Amino acid sequence: MDIEEKELAFLTMPFGPQHPASGHFHALMKVEGERVHELEPHPGYLHRGFEKLMEYRVHVQNCPLVDRICILDPFPNELGYVNAVEKLGGVEVPERARYIRIIMTEFGRILSHITWMGVMGMVLGFDSACRIAWGDRERVIRLNEIISGGRLYPCYFCPGGVRRDMSQEFIKMAFENLDYLEKQLDFYDPFFFDNETFIMRTKGVGKLSAEEAIDLGTTGPNLRACGVDYDIRKDEPYEVYPKVDFNVITREEGDAYARGMCRRGEIAESISIIRQLLNKLPDGPFRTEIGPAWAAPEGESYFCVEAARGELCFHMVSDGSPVPYRAKVRGPSFSHSLVVFPYLAKGGTIADVPIIYWSLDGCPADMDR
Amino acid sequence: MIDKITSLLKPKFADSLLKIVGEGKEITLLVKKEKAHQILSELKDAGFNHLSDVSAVDYIDEQEFELVYHLWAHREKIRAIVKVRIPREAPKLKSVVDLWTGAQIHEREDHELFGINFEGNPNLSPLFLEDWEEIPPFRKDFDTRKYVKEKYYSEEEEYPVAKG
Amino acid sequence: MAYLSEKFSRTFRPLGIVKNLFKKPMTLKFPYETLPPLPDYRGRHALDLEKCAGCFICSMICPNKAIWPVEFEGRKYPQVNLGKCCWCQLCEEYCPNKAIKLTPHSMIVTMNKESAILGIGKEGFIPKHG
Repeated sequence: MDIEEKELAFLTMPFGPQHPASGHFHALMKVEGERVHELEPHPGYLHRGFEKLMEYRVHVQNCPLVDRICILDPFPNELGYVNAVEKLGGVEVPERARYIRIIMTEFGRILSHITWMGVMGMVLGFDSACRIAWGDRERVIRLNEIISGGRLYPCYFCPGGVRRDMSQEFIKMAFENLDYLEKQLDFYDPFFFDNETFIMRTKGVGKLSAEEAIDLGTTGPNLRACGVDYDIRKDEPYEVYPKVDFNVITREEGDAYARGMCRRGEIAESISIIRQLLNKLPDGPFRTEIGPAWAAPEGESYFCVEAARGELCFHMVSDGSPVPYRAKVRGPSFSHSLVVFPYLAKGGTIADVPIIYWSLDGCPADMDR
Repeated sequence: MIDKITSLLKPKFADSLLKIVGEGKEITLLVKKEKAHQILSELKDAGFNHLSDVSAVDYIDEQEFELVYHLWAHREKIRAIVKVRIPREAPKLKSVVDLWTGAQIHEREDHELFGINFEGNPNLSPLFLEDWEEIPPFRKDFDTRKYVKEKYYSEEEEYPVAKG
Repeated sequence: MAYLSEKFSRTFRPLGIVKNLFKKPMTLKFPYETLPPLPDYRGRHALDLEKCAGCFICSMICPNKAIWPVEFEGRKYPQVNLGKCCWCQLCEEYCPNKAIKLTPHSMIVTMNKESAILGIGKEGFIPKHG
C-alpha cells in the first residue's frame, strides 16, 4: 500500500476536555473502525504553576495554596506539605493534633472513593449510582464544614498542628455518620459491585501484570490490584499509623474489576480506623505557634504520603530564608494518566477507553499541578 | 542493607562517589555525572525497582543544576536518593529510560520547565505550555510577577484592572 | 440447582427498586429550604472601626494581595477585594486587635467586577453588591 493511503486509513478523534466521560483530560486517538491504534495524551488544561508560586510565599501562606492541588481529595496534600516542613525544621507537634489529622485524612479517603464510585457508574451508563453516591458525599462534606468552616477547601492543617479544636458535637456526629456509611455499604454491594453491567464491562479489561506495573511507575490501589503488597501506611509509617490495626487489601487479577474491588475494601478499612482513633483521642493542646516569619534551617527533605490515588510526595529544599527555595510535588496521577493509560488503551476498542481511564482513577488536577 | 550497598559500590566507583550518608531507612549518595548512569544501573540490579521521581533544582549562585533521583526497593523497603550536579551552560545528561520506562515522562517535564537535555529519550516535545517563546519558566532568572504585570495588567499598582 | 436459583434471583432483583418510590428524597428544595448555617463558616468579612489600628498586618499576610489601604474620615482602613479573596481566614488569625472577622454570610452574587470590592462606611464594611 502507498504511504499516503496507509495514513488515510486512520481517523483522528479527540477524547476531549469537554466530554461527559473524561473529566478535564484531553487525548487524541487514532482509530481504524472500532480499534484504537494509538492514544496520545495532551496535558496542560489545568496547569497553574504551583511549584513556582510557592517560591514567593511564606510557609503559612502556602497552606491555602497547597489545598488546591488535588481537589477531590484535599487532605493528603496538606498532610504531605506540613510534614515535609516539620521534618526540615524539627518542629514539635502535640499528640492530639496528630490524631485529629489522621481522622480527617481517612474521612477524605472515604469521600474520594465514593466519588470514584459515582463517576464510574456515570461512565458505565448507570446514572442512579451517581445520584445516590452524591447524596452520601454530603454527609462527609458536612463534617468538613463543622470542623473547619470550608466545605471542599478546608485549609485546616498548618505547620505545628491544626488551626481549630475538635468539639464534642463533631465527635457525636462523626459516630452517627460512620454507622450510616456502614449500612450504605451493605446497600451498595448488590446494587453496584455485584451488578451485571459492572461485572461484564470491567472483567478482563485493561489487564496489567506486576512487573509491568512496577516498571511503569504505578502506585496505590492500582498496584495492589496486581498482587504487590505496597502501602506507605505500613511500610514507612508516619503520624499515628503504628498504633492502629488494619489490613492491606490486595487482589490477583490486575484488571479493572480488581481495581474497583480494592477501593471498596478500603472504604471498610477506613471506617474501622476512624472508630479506633476516636475512641482513644487524648486531651491537650492542639497547636504550637511558630509565627509567620519562621525560617526553616538549610537542608532538604522528602516526604511521602498515601493518598487515595497513590503515592503523593513533596521534595522541599530550603536555604535559610522564610520562603522555600524549591518545592516539588509528585502527583500520583502523573504516571497513571500519561504512561499507563496509553499503554493499556492500545489495541482495545473505543468503548473500553473511558472504562480504563476511570478505573485508574486519574485526577487531572494533580497531573498538571 | 546499607552496608551491602556501600561494599558493592565502593570498589568499582571509588573516585565517582563523593559522599554516602545512611540513616534509618534512607541512604543518600552524591555522585559525579560521568558514571551516574552506571551507578543507577547497579542500584537497580541490587533491588531498587521503583523510580518515584526525577526532580531538578536550580542553584544559580553556583551556576549548576542538581538532579535528584528518588528510588525505592519493594522487597527490602529502603529508600535511596541519588544526586548529580551538571553545569548550567549547556545542560545535558544520559537518560534512564532504558532502566525504568516510567522515567520518560519525568524527564520530559524537566526538559520543558528547566531546559535540561536528556540524550536517549524518545519524546521530548512540550508538555504543558503552548507557543512559549521566553526562557524555561522555572529557572530562577524568570520573574513571574513581572511577566504577568506586563502581559495581562495595566500600569496601575493599587487596583489592577484586567485588560484584553 | 444453585445456578438456577441464582439466575432466578438476578432476574427479579431490579424490581426491588420499587421500594425506593415511597422514600423521602435526599435533596432539599433550594432556595425555599436550606441547610442551617453554621456559626464559624468562612463567609463575607466584617470590620470593627474602633478596634482597627491601621497596622495592615492583614494586608501583608494575605496570600493573594486582596486587601489594600483606603482613606476614610482622616485615617487609613483596609479594603477587601472579594474577587481575589480565597477565604482562608489568615487575616482574622493574625490581626492583633481582632478587628477584622469573617461572618457566615455566603450568598454573594454580583454582575460586574467593581461591585465586588467591599466599601467602607460608618459601621465597617458596606457591600456594594446586592
